[in-house]
Parts: sequence; C-alpha cells; structure tokens
Amino acid sequence: MRVLLVHCHPVPESFCAALRDAAVATLTSNGHEVRLIDLYAEGFDPVMHADERRRYNDLEAADNPAPEHAAHLKWAEALIFVYPTWWYGLPAMLKGWLDRVWTPETAFTISRDGGGIKPLMTNITRLGVITTCGAPMWWSWLVGHPGRKTILRGIRALCAPRCRTFFLAHYLMDVSTPQSRTDYLAKVRRKLSAL
Amino acid sequence: MRVLMLHAHPVAESFNGALHRLVLERLAARGHEIDNCDLYAEGFDPRLTREERLAYHDTAVNIEPVREHVERIRRAEALVLCFPVWNFGFPAILKGYFDRVFLPGVSFDIVDGRVRPALRHITKVATVTSYGGPRWRAFVLGDPPRKLVQRVIRVQVKPGAPMPYLAHYDMNRSTAKSRSRFMEKVRRAMDAF
Repeated sequence: MRVLLVHCHPVPESFCAALRDAAVATLTSNGHEVRLIDLYAEGFDPVMHADERRRYNDLEAADNPAPEHAAHLKWAEALIFVYPTWWYGLPAMLKGWLDRVWTPETAFTISRDGGGIKPLMTNITRLGVITTCGAPMWWSWLVGHPGRKTILRGIRALCAPRCRTFFLAHYLMDVSTPQSRTDYLAKVRRKLSAL
Repeated sequence: MRVLMLHAHPVAESFNGALHRLVLERLAARGHEIDNCDLYAEGFDPRLTREERLAYHDTAVNIEPVREHVERIRRAEALVLCFPVWNFGFPAILKGYFDRVFLPGVSFDIVDGRVRPALRHITKVATVTSYGGPRWRAFVLGDPPRKLVQRVIRVQVKPGAPMPYLAHYDMNRSTAKSRSRFMEKVRRAMDAF
C-alpha cells in the first residue's frame, strides 16, 4: 500500500520518534511505499490566518497552504498518525495541520444548497493512530477520548466509506518502564505487519 | 467577578467576532472585571516547543515561557471560551493554549503520582461557540470540543461550577434569523452570568 505517515512531536529523541521509526521500518520491510510528514521538523505553521478563514467556504484546491502535503494525501491509500496525546487530544501543531490542510475542495466539498459535506479523501481506505497518553485508559474513556474521536470519527468521515481504522495507545506514559515501552513498540510492529 | 475571556478567531468581522464583542459588552455592563485574551490578536504561538516538552514536569521552571498567561489564569474567578469549532475540535491556537499553559503545577498538581486539580478558584466556565454542521452530526462524531470543556475542564475547576455551553449548530446553513436568535441567547446568558 501507499502509506502516508504524519508525525508530530517537538523532541527528535522522544519515544514518539522511536514509534515513528519503528512504523516506517516495519511498513517498508513489508513492501509498502511510505512517505513521511514530520510537522515539527518542517516548522509547519498550524495557525489558520485571517485571509484563509475569510475565504474558507470559497477555497479551491489550489489555495491549499501546503500543496505538497495535499498531494501526499491524494497519493495515499493509508494514513497513519503518530503523536503524543496532550490534553486528551491532538497537539495544537497536528490540529492546525487538519485545520489548514484538510480544507474545502481538498478534503471535502460543502454543498451549497443542503450545507452537507461530501468527502474527497475517498482514496484513503485505512486510517490509524499510534499515540501515547499520560492518563490511564479508564479515564481516557470516561473523558470520551476526544483525540481518538477527532481522527477515527471526524477525519474518517472524509475518507473512503468503508475505511478501516485502528487505534493504538500506550496509556500512563508518565510512569512507563523500559519493558512497557518495548512491549508497545512490539505491538506497533505487529499491527503494521498485518496492515 | 474577574473573568478571563479566551477568544480564538482570526477575523474580527466574523460571526464569532460579533459573539466575542457581545460577551465583552454584556459582562462589562454587569460590572465584571474582564481580562480579554484574544489569542489571535496577541499573536499566541500554540506550538509547544522542544524545551517546553523537556521541562514539562519540572514545576520549578515549566511556566517560564508562558508566565504571563499563567498569572492571568491564576487571577481569574471565571472563564469564558469563545471559539468556532473547526474540524471537530478547537482551533489550533486554542488547543495550543491548553497544551502550553495548562501545565503541571498550574491546572493540576501531581502529588504522590496522583493528579490533583489546581484551578479550584474558577467558579464558572461559559462556552460560546459555533459548529459548521448540525447537532446530530456533532453528536455522532462524539463532539470532542464539548467533551474537552465539560469533562476535562470540569474536573479542574471548582466542583459543581456552572458550565453553560452555548452553541450555534449548522452554521453552514445559518440564517440572519438563526444568528440573531443565538445572539439573544448569548446576551441573556451573559446578563445572568
């Protein structure tokens, strides 16, 4: 498959970076084609500016502020996010990437009459999240997993109708051990080997 | 009350900008003391940096890069959030405010490995927002922004604090009438703040 991996963490030597590297290596060795967007390394600007917002409902595909990212998205059959869960959701950097790149005529069309949304990312048939959470699993569920829902429900609604999803999380990250991290890396490798 | 207003919209002449002005006007008319934190106008950078991440759990120094914002939230007795829902969540600039300012030692303390809320001085949290899609769609998608406010922020502030959540759904099909009805609703809520 053609896999686009979107990575978001400010620390190049973080555990999240190890997850990214494990994901890329596993996918590549299983014969997938992989492209990587590393938002912090690129210095992506996640803040939607006033002129983009003013024209939002009339944006054209050509207006996308990151055309190379949009092209990667159109190329991809699978989209995988690797990020730390902060405040139960996506880091602002990643949220802003969705705000600015997943825009009208790139990710969806807003129909004029009904106001409904027609998805345009229907080339994406697999969607996955690989994340770490400070909170325990039970509390993340109680809070409603806002980050998980943003991607597995919100973003998925813009992908292929039968898009399959997965969500992997290392909970209680702040009290993780070398063993728990090794186990989680192994879990990520297993999951991606079966993609 | 001392009210911290967190506003996140880049366009002053937008509907959200009008809601922002309405809230400020009504709260001022009722004699509240308002700290108007307009994140776009202040040029807030929502990206948590490498240095901030490395010092995240070190409560002796972690607030330094955002000290001014930390002092502002510590002074507040109430919080008003005014933002549009974009792609099923907060605009990045507001999400980044929580990432960078709601730090260990600010919004919560970790005592003996347990999380303890630290914003008990906030006795009310109001949200004024707008969604592009209809309410059923927000519900089906799990409504992440509502959950962040009503579940995550709820446990940090004073227990039992009122948390009115005012939302205009279906903005893509809004009419002058639906917008003015919503403005009226916000006006009443702010007058009763």
